[in-house]
Amino acid sequence: MIDTFSRHRPLALLAGVVLAQVLLLAFQIRRENNVRLIRYWAVELMTPLERAGTWTFSHVGGVWTGYVGLRNTRADNERLHNEVNTLRLRNRELESQSAEAQRLVTLLNFHDAHPEAPMLAAQVIGASADPTSHTLFINRGERDRVRRNMGVITPDGVVGKIVEVFPSTAQVLLINDKDSGVGALFATSRTHGVVKGGGDPEPRMEYVINEEKLQFGDAIVTSGEDRIFPKDLLIGTVDAAKPGNPFQVISVRPAARLDRLEDVIVLLSQQEFAPKKSEEASATSDPTATQPGAQTAQPPAPPKSSGVVSDPNKFKPAPAPAQAAARASKPPVPQR
Amino acid sequence: MAYMANLGAHSEPNIEVHKFYSGTIIGTALLSLVFQAFLHKYGRWSELIDLPLLVTIYFGVSRRNPVSGLFLGGAIGILQDALSHDNPIGMYGIAKTIVGYLASSVGGRIDTEHPLSRFGLIFLFFHFHQAILAVTQRVLLNHSAPLFTVRLLIDSLVTAAFGVILFALLDRLRRSS
Repeated sequence: MIDTFSRHRPLALLAGVVLAQVLLLAFQIRRENNVRLIRYWAVELMTPLERAGTWTFSHVGGVWTGYVGLRNTRADNERLHNEVNTLRLRNRELESQSAEAQRLVTLLNFHDAHPEAPMLAAQVIGASADPTSHTLFINRGERDRVRRNMGVITPDGVVGKIVEVFPSTAQVLLINDKDSGVGALFATSRTHGVVKGGGDPEPRMEYVINEEKLQFGDAIVTSGEDRIFPKDLLIGTVDAAKPGNPFQVISVRPAARLDRLEDVIVLLSQQEFAPKKSEEASATSDPTATQPGAQTAQPPAPPKSSGVVSDPNKFKPAPAPAQAAARASKPPVPQR
Repeated sequence: MAYMANLGAHSEPNIEVHKFYSGTIIGTALLSLVFQAFLHKYGRWSELIDLPLLVTIYFGVSRRNPVSGLFLGGAIGILQDALSHDNPIGMYGIAKTIVGYLASSVGGRIDTEHPLSRFGLIFLFFHFHQAILAVTQRVLLNHSAPLFTVRLLIDSLVTAAFGVILFALLDRLRRSS
């Protein structure tokens, strides 16, 4: 090594002298932001080393935390997976219970709103195996005083009627079944007709003359003439209407969600629902409201109600959910 | 070669090393710097000739000692930088250090006594010196210094021509062996 240096001494000296002068220059020259070139070089020289050091430390640390420190991760992962599955299941149960509570609150509201009408809450437990038949089964039967041709409703509107009764269950024919027929009339014009099913999801209102002026959303209520449903229960609204021969072809959008029924109410009699006191007061102050066939200039409000149209021009609003929940905590669900 | 003779005092055989009277090298180097600065006052024509470079080359090829050549070149270059008003110290220093080293190395290998070889040597060293300056300025100062222009060509030719005359004059300062 020393021999090599002495052999190339002049060259080494040249390199040393040139390097010394380069450093001398670097001390004098200033780059951007008045930074000396020597400092610039020092930073440029040191930064990659520092970066390499940081990279090395982070990767070594990553190896430690990513491999060595993960010895118990597999067990933890399995435990957490199980915990997540349990919590998911529990969450679904709670959601289901919450939804059921909501439905029961609605039923209770309806019952509280009409204490004079005997009714029975029931759960839907099955549907028809025939895709062309719109029927379903409920968990109430002969033992619960359920009889044929009793009306089945929800707080939203008419569902159908009891067609078969078994000891502990009953079969309900929905209003959109092809064999179904409900006496109906328009809430505003009081024009009569029959709501019949055609096998489609939406039933039709028949026997309405072409001259009858209809609007989208016109409410259709029970007429009570079929001796199954009390008068003025909401069936649905006009979805579409076109002239036909000899009667109009009117599609009805059912007020009750026939495809998502879970809890229903069986009407144990055809007793009409009495209007509430507040409605009675308003009805007496408005003499035209009690007259059948009376029309108003304003179209009816959307049928978001307890399903009973005691006033043709006014739908009864549903109670607030908070009030309903407070009431739900007091009495039991009617006859369940 | 007639001028090549083994003086016995040098480590390499068959290489003639010229010696000068004491103070000659330092005095000549200082004089070249003074003249360069003095002539610069009287017009830009003096920029055609780089006297310190000629002195560096001359004493490099005459002494034929790379170590003394690089130190002499470095000292002349740093002094030249110091006398200039805007050059950072080291610009000419680096260039002349390398030129001094190479001139000393080349001096022992080729004929440096003939006027034509001197002309060619000065011409080449001038451009080499300019190249080092340009690279240094580009790398360190971020200046776009030219590597070759017609003006530099003219400068190199004038300097080489003047150098042949100057070298002949400086030969008279050699100590007779």
